[in-house]
Amino acid sequence: MIAPYRYIGKATQRKDALGIVTGTVQYLNDVKFKDLLYGKVLRSPHPHAMIKKIDKSRAEKLPGVKAVLTWENVPDWKGGTPGVTRILGQKLRFVGDAVALVAATSEEIAKEALSLIDVEYEVLQAVFDEEEAMKPGAPQLYDEFPGNIVTPGFPVFGPKCLSAISMGDMEKGFAEADVITEGTCGYENVPNPIPPEPPGAVALWEEPNRVTIWVSNQAPHVDRMTLSEVFGREVEIFTHGHPVGGSFGTKIITWQVQSYATLLSRATGRPVKLIYTKEEHIAAFVLRPSSKMNARVGMKKDGTVTAVSGKWLVGTGHYSMTSQAQLAVGLGEVQIMTRCANWDLQTDVVCTNRNASGSVRGFGGQELKCAFIPILSQAMAKLNLDPLEFFKKNYIKPGDGYYWRDGNWYTYRGIDYTAAMDRGAERFGWQEKWRGWLQPSAQKGPLKRGVGVGVHGNADIGEDTSEAYVRLSTEGTATLITSLTEHGTGQRSNYVKMIGEVLQLPLERISISPSDSVIAPFDFGPVGSRGTYAIGSAAISAAEDAKHQLFLLAAPILGVPPEELETMDGLIFVKNRPEQCIPWIATGHDRTIIGYGRFEPDYTLANCMTTFVEVEVDTETGKVTLQKVVNATDVGQIIDPPGLEGQLNGCLGSSGIDSAIFEETILDSTTGHILVANMIDYKWRTFTELPEIDNVVLETPISSHRFRAIGVGEVATSPGPSAILMAVSNAVGTWFHEYPVTPERVLAALDKVKGKERTGGDS
Amino acid sequence: MPKLRSARRVKFTLNGESRTLEIGRLSHQVEPSHTLLYTLRETLGLMGTKLTCDNGACGCCTVLMDGKAVLSCMLLTVECGGTTVTTIEGLKDRDTGMLDPLQQSFIDHTAFQCGFCTPGIIMSAKALLNGNRSPTEDQVKEALSGNFCRCISHYQVVQAVLAVSEGGASP
Amino acid sequence: MRSFTHINARTVDEAVAAMDKFDGRARLNAGGTDLFGVLKDEFLPEYPEAVVNIKTIKGLDYIKEEKDQLQIGALTKLSTLSESRLLKERYGALAEAAHAVASPQIRNVASIGGNICQDVRCSYYRYPRHIGGPIKCARKGNGPCLALKGDNRYHAILNGRKCFAVCPSDTAVALAVYDAQVVVVGPHGKRMLSLKSFYTPTGNLLEKNEMVTEIVVPSVTGQARQSFQKFTLRSPIDFAIVSVASLITVVDGICTDARIALGAVASGPHRAAEAEEFLKGRPLDKENASKAAELALNGAKSMSKNAYKIKIAKTLVKRAIRGQAVESAPKINFSETTVSDRKCADKRDR
Repeated sequence: MIAPYRYIGKATQRKDALGIVTGTVQYLNDVKFKDLLYGKVLRSPHPHAMIKKIDKSRAEKLPGVKAVLTWENVPDWKGGTPGVTRILGQKLRFVGDAVALVAATSEEIAKEALSLIDVEYEVLQAVFDEEEAMKPGAPQLYDEFPGNIVTPGFPVFGPKCLSAISMGDMEKGFAEADVITEGTCGYENVPNPIPPEPPGAVALWEEPNRVTIWVSNQAPHVDRMTLSEVFGREVEIFTHGHPVGGSFGTKIITWQVQSYATLLSRATGRPVKLIYTKEEHIAAFVLRPSSKMNARVGMKKDGTVTAVSGKWLVGTGHYSMTSQAQLAVGLGEVQIMTRCANWDLQTDVVCTNRNASGSVRGFGGQELKCAFIPILSQAMAKLNLDPLEFFKKNYIKPGDGYYWRDGNWYTYRGIDYTAAMDRGAERFGWQEKWRGWLQPSAQKGPLKRGVGVGVHGNADIGEDTSEAYVRLSTEGTATLITSLTEHGTGQRSNYVKMIGEVLQLPLERISISPSDSVIAPFDFGPVGSRGTYAIGSAAISAAEDAKHQLFLLAAPILGVPPEELETMDGLIFVKNRPEQCIPWIATGHDRTIIGYGRFEPDYTLANCMTTFVEVEVDTETGKVTLQKVVNATDVGQIIDPPGLEGQLNGCLGSSGIDSAIFEETILDSTTGHILVANMIDYKWRTFTELPEIDNVVLETPISSHRFRAIGVGEVATSPGPSAILMAVSNAVGTWFHEYPVTPERVLAALDKVKGKERTGGDS
Repeated sequence: MPKLRSARRVKFTLNGESRTLEIGRLSHQVEPSHTLLYTLRETLGLMGTKLTCDNGACGCCTVLMDGKAVLSCMLLTVECGGTTVTTIEGLKDRDTGMLDPLQQSFIDHTAFQCGFCTPGIIMSAKALLNGNRSPTEDQVKEALSGNFCRCISHYQVVQAVLAVSEGGASP
Repeated sequence: MRSFTHINARTVDEAVAAMDKFDGRARLNAGGTDLFGVLKDEFLPEYPEAVVNIKTIKGLDYIKEEKDQLQIGALTKLSTLSESRLLKERYGALAEAAHAVASPQIRNVASIGGNICQDVRCSYYRYPRHIGGPIKCARKGNGPCLALKGDNRYHAILNGRKCFAVCPSDTAVALAVYDAQVVVVGPHGKRMLSLKSFYTPTGNLLEKNEMVTEIVVPSVTGQARQSFQKFTLRSPIDFAIVSVASLITVVDGICTDARIALGAVASGPHRAAEAEEFLKGRPLDKENASKAAELALNGAKSMSKNAYKIKIAKTLVKRAIRGQAVESAPKINFSETTVSDRKCADKRDR
């Protein structure tokens, strides 16, 4: 911390704290609408099928039913990247795919109507494995994707969007290596972050071509932009945001549920609410991408990675919205973690007949790290390198360069995270616990302990654009006008702190506008770790702009140039002569001041999270218990201590660490059913199984931010899973290359180890 | 054979007030298949109790019934006759509007992130403190073991609850 | 939920009469924690016409010991059972089993009658209508069993046939170890069924117009060591992957009586008769415990994905015999805590 701040770095009460603890915060499903209809979706029983015939007459006759929509009577509007997926299509591509939509005067009537829609299906062969899907003769999901390979590139990232890393001289690189290893590792359990609030939307269509949508997402402008494309740019869209009951990245783009509500409103002329059940949430809403890597790694004795070649296969389910974007970001992030001059890493995004993958916290980087770090570990093991030393050496240093998601080369100008890694190691007791590769750190009877470490970072701190207005009322209050919603990070309140710091106003005198795309200026949203730096910078610069305009008005009154003015608690005074002051209102009660701030993207800064884990394995049952977690990072300046702590503890949520232990979306690979579409069968961590957790946060100021801060929220979940795999491998004495480490897998691995011990084989 | 009867109204105490609801199909009435959660939210307009899984597995719909923590999504309103129900709306003092100390402690400890699970967690904690004014940390965790929180506010929640228990740590 | 007629039964006879009148198209409701999950997901071929509330029947909520019998009313809540001093002192396996169920909120309303009669948890069987289901299957009598070739990681490893879903009840496993009997009342009167044989591969022995009114357990006297172990991926909430209840008496270092029941391995709790027989007259050392564990799983047959359950079951049996409980169930605080009795604050996590 450079200077003592009034609010920054101190715990302050969130603006919505009172509303949360009294249950008065209004999430989307809490808002009342007049004349509301309820929407429901009829879902496919088949993983791959054509609708031969669909008869909605019985459903339409049910009293209370106001509309029944099928692929035959909706516009040819499509979503996806590229946009090949119809809102309602004749072809169904996963168990749970939308077959028809109903709007009725109650949810029960809508549900009943679904069972009155008669559908004849032509069942097609389905494919669930990415490698099978790429083979000739495999069932094809889309004519547009031969071999089921989704078109590479994410248009928003430009024509050079990263879809591979190619640089240097591979032959030379491998020649320089002291060891070369090759391995395959999969992170294929497609876990689900399952935020508590189910996805949903309320839509009201107005003829001829406008729709207002009440959304439950991170960024209403992104909803507007996305839907505008889906609706063929034929529809004017207004979106209103609400507090979100958890998103973890999954509610950045939810075009399908929003489109269903829109179409039903268009067909009925009334507002239509469509909220998914938890079963639909798990079976038909965003999952993590599936990830599998086969790679060859050259490494020197000192931990220098001399060459990486390989193939990264990303599974996106029945279509892609952001998978290519996640892939691009993942490819950028792997260079930040591994300073290597010679890369030949190819990729493919493949579609299969399951519920689709999409944006999730970790955004491609987690998926890549989980598959790549175990492969790197094998090379480290051959050289007997401590993985902590490896990460310290290989994590990006100021002056290093990398290709980022847009295919351009950037030079890193952030800080060196080695100190944070060391402090984390110290807090964890890494030196005492690390015994070498595939060695337990402790043993007692059938219980073995193992430790592991993982690292992740994202250069998204300054990604994309944000705009903000700060409006001052001369009565001495300020309003931040922003489209952002609150989804758990507390950021809306943190921007109030930043503005409070700039304007030196009491926080109670600063408010935030409702979130929408109508009045509020553009913002890409609080995604990734861009909230503090990118959005914060826009809010700060809007506040400074407003302050500047205020001073321009006050200057002639006080008879000094504006540069000599300062403000505190609604009073403007001359810097050296504080007795020379006027209240804001002296500039006129009939006046509004609006400051504008805009942040332009900056991809030269990256954050870094290092996670140390300790597990205990019961070798007689295969059960893995997480004992201890230490997260270590450097944030420049803590804005809000409890908020940051929440983000770091969040590593135990959002399908992070536990995706290595017990989280799994179990798919029957013959019938295509997701077998865990409920909150008992899908596993999440409970209060009684909390590990010891400690968060080490350094503050090395970042000069390019007004408060010297960067963000770390998103990356908290990503180092954990591969660290768990490392820890369990060490405890058990053999490599694990699959997630999660179920008792079945652990017992099988233990058998393997016992077998090797008997025959004297090496691990 | 004794006549089988369906009741025509259900009467219970809700947040300190006696409520009588007619059983029927009109929008202000309660159907036999309505869960208490549905009645609280849709019929009575009390939105503080949240709908998440609607299947008894996450605890977000927790309310107090006769002082015990129960899942309102798995109770039929028509079977709640004669009971005393408390929702999150009923925690603050009815006369002064002052927050329950537990609620204030959650604010002081920032024991929430997205807040969606918070009403359910506060009600489970309230049930615990009703029956045990000085729980241990393990007892707090066990009382909350049926409550889902995905943002991982667990650690701050435990501190917040212990802080209001008798002899608990100060915030 | 879809609508149904709702009936409040005031007596057991009224409940039975209602079930009889609806001839299989009515369901009894006690705690509701299983029934409403079944109804909401609409995965059964038929939706009931009526729900009969039996909480309005007085006098079915009790724990008492008389005439060498422990008698538990079918409506006794799991929370009552897990907090009962009598059970904690003398029927510890049952107290622990009741405590191991689900979550505090569920235990506050769920009844022991409901717990032993609850439906199975197979994900194919329970696949909800509204996400592309329901799935036809052998248990429903309208299709083949999909778990056979599919994901059977939680399914039966003993005596599996026709339907391979396991009995999910924790209390049933403890009751099996006590040789419990189930009192069942129907239109033709009362009958007693042994809990051990209460379950079939596709359900239980209740006729469509019968209800459980009481559970009877021969009194446990003497110094038997009792335990209930529940292996799950996480705790609590989860149903058992494998569970073991045991009642073992040791005199002068020799086992004089051993009763061991395995849960979640078959369509009902499985008494390990061969293991029990083997242990009588032997010291409970490591070798005998291992041998007994092998015998307990004699005849176990794994499906494609659940062989690991055999290994875990053997471990739990061994640990039950050796007196080493596995730490998967939530910790139970057996001491009473009153307002004035304050335990020292446990070590905080940070």
